[in-house]
Amino acid sequence: MSQSVRTVGDPARQPAQIHETTTPKVAGGQLRALLWTKSRMTRHWIASVRNQSKLKVGFVSISAVVLWAGAFFFSLGIFFLFDRFGEQIFGDNGGVNITDVVLNRMLSVMALVIFMMLIVSNVLVSFATLYRAREVAYLIQAPLAPIVFFLGRFVECLSFSSWGLLFLGSPVMVAYGLQREVQPGFYIALLVLVVPFVTIPAAIGTTITIGIVRVFSGLKRPAIVAVALIAIVFLFLFFRGRGANPDLSQAETVQAIVAAMGQTQTALLPSHWFATAVLQAAVGHLGTTAFYGLVLLANALMAVLLASVAAHFWFYRGWTSLHAADEQRKPSSVKGGALGLIERLLAPVREPARSLIIKDLRMFWRDPAQWSQFLIFFGIMALYLANMRQSGGFFGEEPYRSWIAILNMAATMLILATLTTRFVFPLISLEGRRFWILGLAPLRIRSLVRQKFWLSVVLSSLFTVTLGLISGYRLELQAFELFLTLFGIGAATLALSGLAVGLGSLYPNFEEDNPSKITSGMGGTLNFILSLAFIIMVIVGQTFVVQWRRAAVESGGDPTMAVAIVLGALALATLFATLVPLRAGMRNLERTEF
Amino acid sequence: MIDIQNLTKRFGEKVAVNELNLQVPEGEFFCYLGPNGAGKTTTIKMLTSLVRPTSGQATVGGFDVQENPVEAKRLVGYIPDHPFLYDKLTGREFMRFVNGLYQIDPATFDQRCGELLEIFEVAHVADQLIENYSHGMRQKLSFASCFLHQPRIVIVDEPWVGLDPKNIRAVKQYLRDRTRDGLTVFMSTHSLSIAEEIADRIGIINRGRLLGTGTVAEIKALANNPGTLEDVFLELTQDDEPAELLSA
Repeated sequence: MSQSVRTVGDPARQPAQIHETTTPKVAGGQLRALLWTKSRMTRHWIASVRNQSKLKVGFVSISAVVLWAGAFFFSLGIFFLFDRFGEQIFGDNGGVNITDVVLNRMLSVMALVIFMMLIVSNVLVSFATLYRAREVAYLIQAPLAPIVFFLGRFVECLSFSSWGLLFLGSPVMVAYGLQREVQPGFYIALLVLVVPFVTIPAAIGTTITIGIVRVFSGLKRPAIVAVALIAIVFLFLFFRGRGANPDLSQAETVQAIVAAMGQTQTALLPSHWFATAVLQAAVGHLGTTAFYGLVLLANALMAVLLASVAAHFWFYRGWTSLHAADEQRKPSSVKGGALGLIERLLAPVREPARSLIIKDLRMFWRDPAQWSQFLIFFGIMALYLANMRQSGGFFGEEPYRSWIAILNMAATMLILATLTTRFVFPLISLEGRRFWILGLAPLRIRSLVRQKFWLSVVLSSLFTVTLGLISGYRLELQAFELFLTLFGIGAATLALSGLAVGLGSLYPNFEEDNPSKITSGMGGTLNFILSLAFIIMVIVGQTFVVQWRRAAVESGGDPTMAVAIVLGALALATLFATLVPLRAGMRNLERTEF
Repeated sequence: MIDIQNLTKRFGEKVAVNELNLQVPEGEFFCYLGPNGAGKTTTIKMLTSLVRPTSGQATVGGFDVQENPVEAKRLVGYIPDHPFLYDKLTGREFMRFVNGLYQIDPATFDQRCGELLEIFEVAHVADQLIENYSHGMRQKLSFASCFLHQPRIVIVDEPWVGLDPKNIRAVKQYLRDRTRDGLTVFMSTHSLSIAEEIADRIGIINRGRLLGTGTVAEIKALANNPGTLEDVFLELTQDDEPAELLSA
C-alpha cells in the first residue's frame, strides 16, 4: 500500500463524523443509498447489454415485442367479438347491455387473478430476496434500522415480482381501452394506480413469507413436509365439494357465469377497487376513480406499514433461525431415505451420468427453496383433480369431453412449462462455478447437456404422464382420445425439456447462484415464451385432429390421412423444438471459456 | 472494547461456541486462532449480529450486539474472508454506497474515499465494475470500505486470502498503526507466523472452548514442550485431531 499517502492523510486518524442515532433523516438517507445502489446496478446492467451478442439481444427483444403484440391483438379480437356478437351470445336481457357487464366483470376477474398471482409470486421472490440473497448478510451487519433494511429489500422484491405480470397485463388493458374507445383518463388511471395495486399483494406476500420463516425455520424438515401435506389435503377437501354443475340451459349458464364473475366485485377486494377505478376513468367519472384510487393508496401504505412491523419483530429471528437450521441440518445418509432408494434404482445407469444425476437430485432435495415450490405445484394439482371429478359428470358427452381432455392437457403442459423454466433452465448455469471440477473431469460437455435433458424428461414424465392417465381415467376417454392426450403430453415433455436445457446452455448465467434470478433473465424469459408457443401449437393441432375426426365420422368420411398428417407434423415440430436448442446449447458451451 | 460473557451457540446438538468469556481492551490487536470448525467464525458472526447467541452476552463499545445492534454496528468494521461486493457497481460507487449506509458527513466523504482507495491501492480501478476485479482487489476494496466510517473496532476473518506478500505486509502494518491510534482489532487467522508477529494477545479456541489467552510468550508457556507458536498450537489442539480425522 502507499506508505506516503497513509502517513500524510490517513483518514482513519480523522475524527468520527457518524450520526449517532437513527433519526428519520438518517433512515431516509440510508434508504436512498440502498435505492441509489440498485438504480446504478440497473444502469450498469442495461449498459452491459451493449457488450452482449447482438443476435441474442435482437432475438429476445423481437420475441418480447411479438409476445406483447400477440397478447394485444388477441385481446383486441376477443373484445371485438364481444362488442360485435355480444347480443347474440348473451341474448336480450331486458334492455341491459350484458356485454358491458360481462366485459367489466372480465376485467375484475383479470385483476383478481393478477392480484392472487402476485401474492404467490411475492411469497417466492421475497424468500429469495429477504433470506437467500448474499447481500442480506452484508446489510445485516451494517447499522441499518430494521425498517430501512426491510423497505430497501421490499422495493427490490416488488419490482422483481411484478414486472412480468405487468408486461403481460398491459396489452390486455390497452386493447380494452382502444376497443371500447375509452376516455384518456383510463390510461392515466392505469399508470398511476398500478403502483399501489401491485404494492398490496407484494406486502401481503412478503408478510406471509416472514411469518412462515419465523414459524417454520425452527422446525425439522419432516414436520414442515407434514404441515404442507395437511394443507394440501385441507385444500383438496375444501374445494372437492365445490363447483358441482347441475344441468343448466344456455341462459341460465350465462346468468350463472355473470353471477360467479360478480363474486370478484366484492367491495373488500383491492382488485375490485383497482378495476372500478380504471373502469370509471374509462367513462369519465373521475370522482369515483379518485375515491377508489385513494382507497387503494391508503390500503397499500397500510399494507407496507404492517409488513414493516412484521419484519421488525420477526425478520431477524427468522433469518438467524433459518441459517442456524442450515448449520445443523444433517443430510440423509448415503444409503438411507428416498435419495438412497433412488441411488440404488439408478445403479444400471452408466457413470458419469449416474453421479451427475444423483448430485442434481441431492442438491434439489437439500434446497427447501426449490422443493417447497414443488409442493405448491402439487397443491395446485390437488385442486385441479378435485374439480375435475365434478366436471366428469357434467361434460361426460362429446364434444365437451374431448375439449375438456385437451384443456386438461393444456393445463398439464402449462404447469410443465413453469417447472422446466423454473427448475430445468437454471441447471447448466448453476454448474458454472463448479466447472473447475466438471471441466477437468473425463466428461464431454455434450454428455453433461444430455444428462440434464434426460433427467428432466424422466422426472417430468413421472408427473405429466401420471396426470394425463388420471385425466383420461376421470373423463373415461376412448383409446384414441387417450392416445392423443399422451401423445401431446409426451411431445411437450420432450420439447419443453429440450428447450429448457438447450436455451439454458445457450444463455447461461454463470455469475448467479439464485435460480430465480437466472430464470428471470432474458434466456429464461425466452424459454418460457417459446414453451408457450409450442404448447399453443400442440393444442391447436390436437383441436384440429379432434374436430376433423368428428366431422369425418359424422359425414361418413375417413379421417385417417388428415389425422396422420397433423400428428406427423406435430412429431416433426417436437423433434425440431427438442434437438435444435440442444445442439445450439452444446455448441455454445463447447465454445465458452470458463 | 469487546466484552464477551458466557457466550454460547448451539446448532441443534452441536455446540459451536461453549461458554466463551473474553475481553479485548481498546487499542489491542487480538488474534483468534483455532483449527477448522473450532468456532472462530461463529464467534465473529455473533459479534457482528449475523448469528444470534443461544445464551450469554457480547458487547462492543459498551453496546450489547443483540439489545442495541444498530449502535454497536456503527462502531464496528467487518471484513469477512470472502467479502460480499456488488459486482455491477464500480469501486467508487461501492464506497459511496457504504457512505450512504453509515451516513458519514458528506463534506468529508470525497476526501476520505479518495485517500482510502489510494492507501489500499485500488484507486486506479475505482471506476471499473467490481465484476472485473481480481480476488485480491476485492479484498483491498473491502478493507478500504471497512475503514470509511472510521470504526473503533475492526473484526477481520482470515483477511489474507488473495493478497500478495507485498499487500499482506502493508495490511499488517496498517492495522498495527491503527491500533496505536486506539483501534481495536479482532482477527481470526490460520497464519500463525503473522499472529506471532503482530498480535498483542492471542486466544486459541478448539471445539467451541477457549483453551487460553495471553501474549505469545504466555501462550507458549502453556505447552508442555516449548517451541514455536505452531508447535504449541498443534500440541494444544492435537487431542482432538484423531477423532476429527476419523469422523471426516
